[in-house]
Amino acid sequence: MATRATALIADDEPLLRESLTRLLAQTWPELEVVAQTRNGRAAVESFEALRPDICFLDVHMPGLSGIEAARFIGRRAHVVFVTAYDQYAVQAFDQGALDYLVKPVELARLADTVARLKERLRAKPEIPDRDALLDQLAARVYKNAAPASPPGLRWLRVSVGQTLRLVSADEVDFLRSEDKYTLVAWHDQAGQLADGLVRTPLKELINQLDGEQFVQVHRSVVVNLRAIKLVLRGHNETANIHLKYRTDVLPVSRTFLHQFKMM
Amino acid sequence: MTSTNTSTLREDLTRVFHWRRVKVMLVTCFILHLPIFATWLASYPLLVGRVLFIGFAVLLAFGLFERWPARLPGWISRWGLQVVAVAAAVPISAAIAYTITTIGEPQHWWQTPGRLSGFGSMTVLGLLVSPWIAVASLLRQIKDEAHKQALKFELDRSHYERNALDARFRLLQAQVAPHFLFNTLANVRELVSIGSPRAAPVLESLIAYLRASVPRLNEPSSTLGQELELVQAYLEVMQMRMPDRLKFNVEADDAARAAKCPPMTLLTLVENSMRHGIDPAEEGGSIEVRALVRDGRVRAVVTDTGMGLTRSNEAIAGLGTGLANLRERLQLAFGGDATLTLSENQPHGVLAEIDFPVRIGAV
Repeated sequence: MATRATALIADDEPLLRESLTRLLAQTWPELEVVAQTRNGRAAVESFEALRPDICFLDVHMPGLSGIEAARFIGRRAHVVFVTAYDQYAVQAFDQGALDYLVKPVELARLADTVARLKERLRAKPEIPDRDALLDQLAARVYKNAAPASPPGLRWLRVSVGQTLRLVSADEVDFLRSEDKYTLVAWHDQAGQLADGLVRTPLKELINQLDGEQFVQVHRSVVVNLRAIKLVLRGHNETANIHLKYRTDVLPVSRTFLHQFKMM
Repeated sequence: MTSTNTSTLREDLTRVFHWRRVKVMLVTCFILHLPIFATWLASYPLLVGRVLFIGFAVLLAFGLFERWPARLPGWISRWGLQVVAVAAAVPISAAIAYTITTIGEPQHWWQTPGRLSGFGSMTVLGLLVSPWIAVASLLRQIKDEAHKQALKFELDRSHYERNALDARFRLLQAQVAPHFLFNTLANVRELVSIGSPRAAPVLESLIAYLRASVPRLNEPSSTLGQELELVQAYLEVMQMRMPDRLKFNVEADDAARAAKCPPMTLLTLVENSMRHGIDPAEEGGSIEVRALVRDGRVRAVVTDTGMGLTRSNEAIAGLGTGLANLRERLQLAFGGDATLTLSENQPHGVLAEIDFPVRIGAV
């Protein structure tokens, strides 16, 4: 029986994206690969735009990893992880009953996975919450590297018009309260400026962000310390912040001026 | 010499009256008593007893002042104190010996010409010989100490070498790590499947890399030229895998290529750049390897425009062990005359620089 479905493939190595696409075409011709992305961030953004049924995610990707992307996708799609042989990952996958494929992908194994996916799509069961499993997986996979990632939100979901963008905390210049939402102004790696909205009030967002990196300078403005070029003091206990990547000038209100005392 | 304040009496006695010292003392006493025996008028046991008494007293003096007092003023050397003590012990103990063995006699022993001359002989002979024996013993102690130090040094060095060897094995394991191998093979398989002409050259690079990654054990060193080829092969493979995220350039003087260096010297740095600099960066970056010779020294520099040093702890931890190993191997190969430094590249990335003397031929 031909089961139609859509899929997204994410891998930082272009030949491997092609390879999986080709192999899927052989085992599941009715599957339409709607997007091929080269990192986790693009995978999440494409997912939000296209909402495929299945996501094939390479575990090891720059920026946002496959595991973290799976967290963002949540229960909204079936996820199949793809990993080069890594004993920790394989163990974690087996124990957590997460679908996975080992690179180089063997046609026979892919066929098994495809059969399982088709079955699930037909039966349409609830996709289970994977968060706990993903935590375990992340712990296992990064066992050797043992990262102590900085606290606070690393990735923000920002709406730019109709599309959803994932913005890294490092790329953010400043945040400004817009009623119940927050405006996020950032620059991407190419230096392009952009801004969008986060559907969380600034008050809440401040608590989620890393306090060492993000500082409130005004009742409605929070700035990324990394984006500051210089702070100019004016008269009457005021100051203005000049930014590295933008021409915007942010005022510092009296209440928050103490944070910029000369050392 | 450190003194153990907590040594027990038993330990002290064992040290002061160590069998080796007692033996020396007994032999000396035997030899010295012979000339005195030649003109001895009293009983033989008396002679032996007095001579032995002096012998043990001298031994005691030597041993006592070896550790006591624990601290000496700067102008007194311990060995000097011991020799003086030994010298002083001779007449004093001789006097005591004579006094003890003539208690109850009507005349003091020093008033008896015979006894006085006996005392004189023992004292003179003792003074002539025992300070020298003390000095010889001290010299021997110093030599023993030096020998112990040399042994310890040898032991440390062999541990060092073994660590370096272990490091190489671990590096070996890391080279042929499944993750790298299977990822690369997956790529090559795809090239072959689509009939790409790139398949063959990539396989050549992979083969070159794998072959160089299994160094021959009885060749403890490699040339910079071989290292550069290895690094070139590795970077070619990586670029095939991520063409949109890696640019690289490898350049070297001909003079630099002939220089000897430990195996994996450059590869360690390039892999670090790849793993911690380029790979985690969404847009990747470029890696540059340069080697040149100036004033008899080789300067090899690996720069990348990746994430830089200020990134996550994961990077620092990984960098730490790999570089520590490399430093050890460089120190071992060049007897400490090598440096390895890391610094931030501008605007972002890492600059790793190695500096060592040029050696052509055996290292």
